[in-house]
Order: sequence, then C-alpha cells, then structure tokens
Amino acid sequence: MNYFPDEVIEHVFDFVTSHRDRNSISLVCKSWFKIERYSRQNVFIGNCYATSPERLLRRFPCFKSLTLKGKPHFADFNLVPHGWGGFVQPWIEALARSRVGLEELRLKRMVVTDESLELLSRSFVNFKSLVLVSCEGFSTDGLASIAANCRHLQDLDLQENDIDDHRGQWLSCFPETSTTLVTLNFACLEGETNLVALERLVARSPNLRSLKLNRTVPLEALARLMACAPQIVELGVGSYEDEQDSESCLRLQAAIRKCTSLRSLSGFLEAAPHCLSAFQPVCHNLTSLNLSYAAEINGSHLIRLIEHCKKLQRLWILDSIGDKGLEVVASTCKELQELRVFPTDLHGGGNAAVTEDGLVAISAGCPKLHSILYFCQQMTNEALITVAKNCPNFIRFRLCILEPHKPDHVTSQPLDEGFGAIVQACKNLKRLSVSGLLTDQVFLYIGMFATQLEMLSIAFAGDTDKGMLYVLNGCKKMRKLEIRDSPFGDAALLADVNKYETMRSLWMSSCEVTLGGCKRLAQKAPWLNVEIINENDNNRMEEENGYEGRQKVDKLYLYRTVVGTRVDAPPFVWIL
Amino acid sequence: MEGCPRNKETYPKLLDLIPQGRQWYQEEKNNTDQEKKLELRLAPPGGDEEGRSAINRKITEIRNSNIKKEAEDKSIFNLSGNHSSPSNKTTFAPHISHKRTAPGPVVGWPPVRSFRKNLASTSSSKLGNESSLGGQVNKSGDGEKQVKPSKREGMFVKINMDSVPIGRKVDLDACSCYEQLSFAVDKLFRGLLAAQRDTSGGEGEEKPIIGLLDGNGEFTLTYEDNEGDKMLVGDVPWDMFISSVKRLRVIKSSEISSALRFGCSKQQKMRT
Repeated sequence: MNYFPDEVIEHVFDFVTSHRDRNSISLVCKSWFKIERYSRQNVFIGNCYATSPERLLRRFPCFKSLTLKGKPHFADFNLVPHGWGGFVQPWIEALARSRVGLEELRLKRMVVTDESLELLSRSFVNFKSLVLVSCEGFSTDGLASIAANCRHLQDLDLQENDIDDHRGQWLSCFPETSTTLVTLNFACLEGETNLVALERLVARSPNLRSLKLNRTVPLEALARLMACAPQIVELGVGSYEDEQDSESCLRLQAAIRKCTSLRSLSGFLEAAPHCLSAFQPVCHNLTSLNLSYAAEINGSHLIRLIEHCKKLQRLWILDSIGDKGLEVVASTCKELQELRVFPTDLHGGGNAAVTEDGLVAISAGCPKLHSILYFCQQMTNEALITVAKNCPNFIRFRLCILEPHKPDHVTSQPLDEGFGAIVQACKNLKRLSVSGLLTDQVFLYIGMFATQLEMLSIAFAGDTDKGMLYVLNGCKKMRKLEIRDSPFGDAALLADVNKYETMRSLWMSSCEVTLGGCKRLAQKAPWLNVEIINENDNNRMEEENGYEGRQKVDKLYLYRTVVGTRVDAPPFVWIL
Repeated sequence: MEGCPRNKETYPKLLDLIPQGRQWYQEEKNNTDQEKKLELRLAPPGGDEEGRSAINRKITEIRNSNIKKEAEDKSIFNLSGNHSSPSNKTTFAPHISHKRTAPGPVVGWPPVRSFRKNLASTSSSKLGNESSLGGQVNKSGDGEKQVKPSKREGMFVKINMDSVPIGRKVDLDACSCYEQLSFAVDKLFRGLLAAQRDTSGGEGEEKPIIGLLDGNGEFTLTYEDNEGDKMLVGDVPWDMFISSVKRLRVIKSSEISSALRFGCSKQQKMRT
C-alpha cells in the first residue's frame, strides 16, 4: 500500500490536523494506523468515560495536547448533581507517570482539584497552555502552583469556571523571570487580586495578546494595564465604575487609542452605563464583542457603540438591545457570523425586549450569519420560515422561547412548520435547539431533512414515541441527543439499540422511560454505560422489585464506551 | 432559493406524506404555482437532488418502527383536528400525556448558566421593578453548586464605599435586620478597604468595619430611596427600608452632612 517511506507519509499527515480526519486516516490500513498514531499531536476525547488514560497512552505515545470533556451539556443548567463525575485527577496521574511531553491541556465540564493542578504543574517541563471551561473543584491555590511552576506558560485561560477564590497572592506567584504569557483570562474569579503584581506581570509580558480581567480590577488599574500592553488583541474589562471625565477615564481613553491591534472586547462585569463611549476609537476594528454580562448598560448605549462596529463577526449581547437594536446590528454588521442574544428577564415578565422581528431583521441583514443562539418570549412560524429563506447557511440554530409549550403567538399553532422550514433550508445544520409548542411533526421534519445534524436539544416537546423515533431513524450523523420533559418512553429508547454505538451520548430527563426499559437496553448493549441518576430516592428503585419495571426514571444518561462501567460513580448514580 | 413570498398571508402547506386513504389534512383549493413552489415538501423547491424513490425509501425507513399504532393514530387524529382549520384561533391545548409540566419555576429552565441568572435579578432591581424571582447559587464549603430557588425574591442592590473604587452588590433578602446588613457590608468591603489603604502591594491589615449604623465608626451607611433622596440607614423599620431602598453607599462619617446634601446631583449625573 505504501509507495513512499514512512517519513514522507508522516510529513503528509502533518497537514491533516482535524482529529476526525486523522481518525479516518487511521482506518485506511495497518501501516497508516501505525504512522498516524505515532505522529498525532493533538488528541481530542469528547467523553472522558468513553476511554481511559491507559488506552490513550497506549495508542498515542507522542501527543502534546489533550482535550477532555466530562459532564454532559445539561450540567450547565444544574441538571447533573454535584459529585456525578468527570474527575481529571486519574488522567493527570497517568500522564505524569508516563513520559508524555504534555504541553497543552484543555478541559470542559470536568472536576479539577488543586492537587491535580499542582501535579500538572510539576510533571511536564514544557507545559505551555491550560484552558479550563466550565470546570469546578479547585481554588486559587491551584492557580498559584501553575503560575509558580510552569516556566514556559503561555496560556492560562479560565472560562466560566466555579473557582474557590482564596483572595491570595496567586498572581504574585509568577516568577519575575516569567515573560512568556500570551493569554491571561481570570474573568470568572470573584475575589480581589494583587493589582501591583498584575501590572508588573503584564508589563514584562511582551507577547501578551489576550487579557481578561475580573470584576475586582477597577478602572484606574485598567488604564495602567492598557498603557503597558498596547499590543493587546483581546481585552476583557473587569469593572468600569467611574464617573465620566474622571482622570482614570481620560487616561484609559488615551491608552485605548494606542491599542491599534485590539479586535475583541468583552467583560464589563461591573459597568457604568456610559463606559462604552471610551471604546469608540477602536470599534471600527472590532471583530468580536461580548457584552452579555453587562446588565447595567441599556439599549441605547449598546446601539451607539455597535453602529460603528462594521467589521463585527461575533456578537454576544443581552436582549436589552431590543428589536430596534438588532435592526441596527443588521444594517451595520455585514460581516456578522455568530450572534447570541441572552435574556435579562428570565420569567417572561412582560418586558418583551426582543421578538421574532429582531430575528428576522438579523437574518435579512447579515448574509454571513451561520450560528445563532436566541432567547425570546414569542415566535411565529412565519418569522421562522422567513429566517430560513434569508439564511440557508446556518450551521448552529438554537432558539429558546422562555415559556415552555408556547405556540405561535399569532396563529396559536405549534411551531412545527417554522422549525421544519429551518431544517429543510439549512442543509449544513449541525446543531439545533428547539422550543415552544411542538408536536411529533417537527421531529418528522428533522428526521427527514436534517441530514448533517450532530447535536439536538429538545425540551417540553413532542407527543409520542414517534417523535424520538423519527430523529433516531432519520439523523444519520447524530452524535449528541439531549431531551428533557418530553413524552418519549421505552419504545423509542429500545427501537434501535445499535444506533447508540454511532452516537457519543444520549440524555433523557423527566421523560417516560422506565427502569425496566433501561435495564433491557443495558442488557442488549453491553458496550454502553447506561446511567440512572436518582438523587432523591437512592434505594427505592432497588427495593420495589415488583414495580420497578414500570418505575419512571428521572434522569438517564447513556454513552458508548470501550472501557466498561466506570469505577468513580457516586451512590446516586446507578450504572446498569 | 426563491425570494420571499409576495402574499404574506399565505402559510406554506403541510407535508403530504400520509397515505391518501386517511383524510388527515385538508388541502386548500386555491394552490397557485407560486405557492406550490414555496410549499414545504419532500424535494427542495425547484431542484431535484433526491430522486422520488430515495425519498420514499426514507419515509418508510423513518416510519418503520415497532410501536403500537392505535394510541398514536388517535393522537395524530387529534392533531389533525386542530390543523384542519388553521384559521381557528383557539389555543392549541397540549394533550401531552406526561405529568411533569409544572407551572412554576422549573429546575434548569430557561437554559442559562447560573451566573447569568444572578445578572438578571440585579438588573431588574436596579430598574425599580419588582425583583424577579432568581435562583441563588448556593456555595457551601465543599463547593456544592446546586441552584436552589429562593423562597422569597432575591434582592441585590448596589453598594459603593468611599475611597474604594470597586462597587459591590449586597443581597438584602439574605439579611433580616440592620445588624445583619452591617455585617454583610463589613464582609464585602473589609478586604477591599485594606487593599486600598496598603497600595505598596503587601498584605494590609484588615480592620473590621464597625459602627456603620450608630455614627460612631469611621464610616456610616447611607442609602438612596426610590424617590432619589439620600438617607441614613437605620431610621425607619426594616420592612419600610427594604421596600424603598434602591442603592447603598458607605461614606466617611466625617462627611455625612455634605454627602447627604450634595452627593445627590453627582449621582444623578453618573446615571445618565
């Protein structure tokens, strides 16, 4: 099969970086499998329980970067109890024992401890990059170990983690000789930091590109930091609580004018309404803007800034921008690719800030839009059909109507037709979240048309098992299916057991599946881990033997795995 | 893709997938060519990428399942009952069989992260509306992170302190009396104040902030009520205070009179 020496093939493989493509390459022949596994640099493990550290090391002895994901997506909304799992410790221990030259670790929804961070910091001489997203279980002491021990650290990127802030001096733990930082993001920390140490660190890091501060870094410190780092590309503002025209404000404006490389702005965790005006000089270059934490900035200020952001590609905002604001976005941001509109009022309190009109305006004005997350209180089929016609390029379409079961507010019909139009028009749709009043019909449309769909989120939708069956039978590329509060039961769950081998995972909570159904599934598919999460009645499920077959399961999470039942499950998780 | 429909009132027709024997959907009589093109149908409009046979295969594949037909048929007939008269404005009552639809706050809904929920309740209390029901993230010592819906409405108000550039927020609902509020203020600002005072970067000595309510301490707690007036905290009954407070400020006791008189307009300027 090989016409070239291995080194040549390996060199060719170097140009293939996507892990999916590399997985495909490995399947061509034994020789390619061998060459590929020794040359793989970046390993991606989408479910840490699908495999084990030992198997990872056996197959890829030479990797430099590891990405691991732990808890299922619904853990973000507190549907997965604390202690469920996703511990990174065994992985770090195994990697530390081996001779892997780990340089980068990216974790999502995993439990990380200070002990893990300390071990990590001491075990890998060339460690460069730590990215933690939605993780928990550690404190600033762990960060101190990383700062102190990783001599070549380039990236410390903490996104939306739950960190126990000991208000210590972790920033001071970066040695004076440390000058390699490229990314420093500690926006999710709640406590005070040593501002002097921070300033000194930034001043001695000429390669610093991304700096995202937390809410306790005040305006005057921000002004000084930006004066030391005019090369900054991404900035996360911490606190901006000062009077307009104060001295700090003026100094900040002067510093910002020199930041000609600034492309991304975020943060504003504590913000005075006028704060955005200081950033006017740089808006015309901005490609990414995240104001979704700035609840105090009202719509008109947002609009005044966005009017000048002609190059914006990514925009995350709150719905306080309103339909009018979205119209401004539509007419200004012709390069927009990704939009997220988050809710300010979570309980439909009548302040209908954005409606279907805003969504339609965006779809009409932004030809490059391919990803959207939109929270609103009302929607119509007509609007969705119009959006589908305007924007057939969606890759990710997530619509969340705040009130469950809410129909089309004009016709009172279910929103089946609207979502049907989306899946029919958007041939490249990979991710979809549906909401509002939906019958089995919408799932028929999804099964028929959403051929590329990989992730589907369903809540309060459908009427019968047929709905789920349409999806399982139709969406050949489905990888992650998550369902809550929908009337799908054992019949749908058990119809095609082999389907789950082609998927990463299935989550079903508050549905109609029974314990008996889950047991039958586990029997038929030993290569699946079928987990029942039952916080309330730990032992009741086992005791009532006569009725257990029909007892409804509160939370079901199943996933394919090559390593069998995991050993770290807590008592409230029952693996069948 | 075709352009937008000229006739905005026309809704696309429903899929005609069901065998002819069953009258599940009533087709409208006046189907113009234009409308036909925009119909939601099996093949992409104007194109013919998938052959008819392939689509038929797909339909049988999707609908080939070992489920009881009776129950489903009944429910689909119910569905059709509503669909057959699209002009009927009566609300479609969901006849879902499962019992879990709860009218009140539902766990994990809407699907936003916990820290975004706190954001919402803060902003609405600021706007002077009644505080919205927000879940409070409960952080116990072992890092437990369950969102427990609060029994009463959470009420976060902003609080600033003289000589400290960083503002904080305090949950008045977590306090039931002035003394607890005073403790909360101390907890929020003790570290910040110490950091402010010791700007050389070393560890500052943290002194407790006391005497906020009786005028004896270095600092005094004041607030701005819903009419924009600045008042000393502690004069009115707690419940009355709660219902009228909009934001708090810790000022130097030595500057009480000037702060209460002149601070007002300065604050107003900041807000616009």
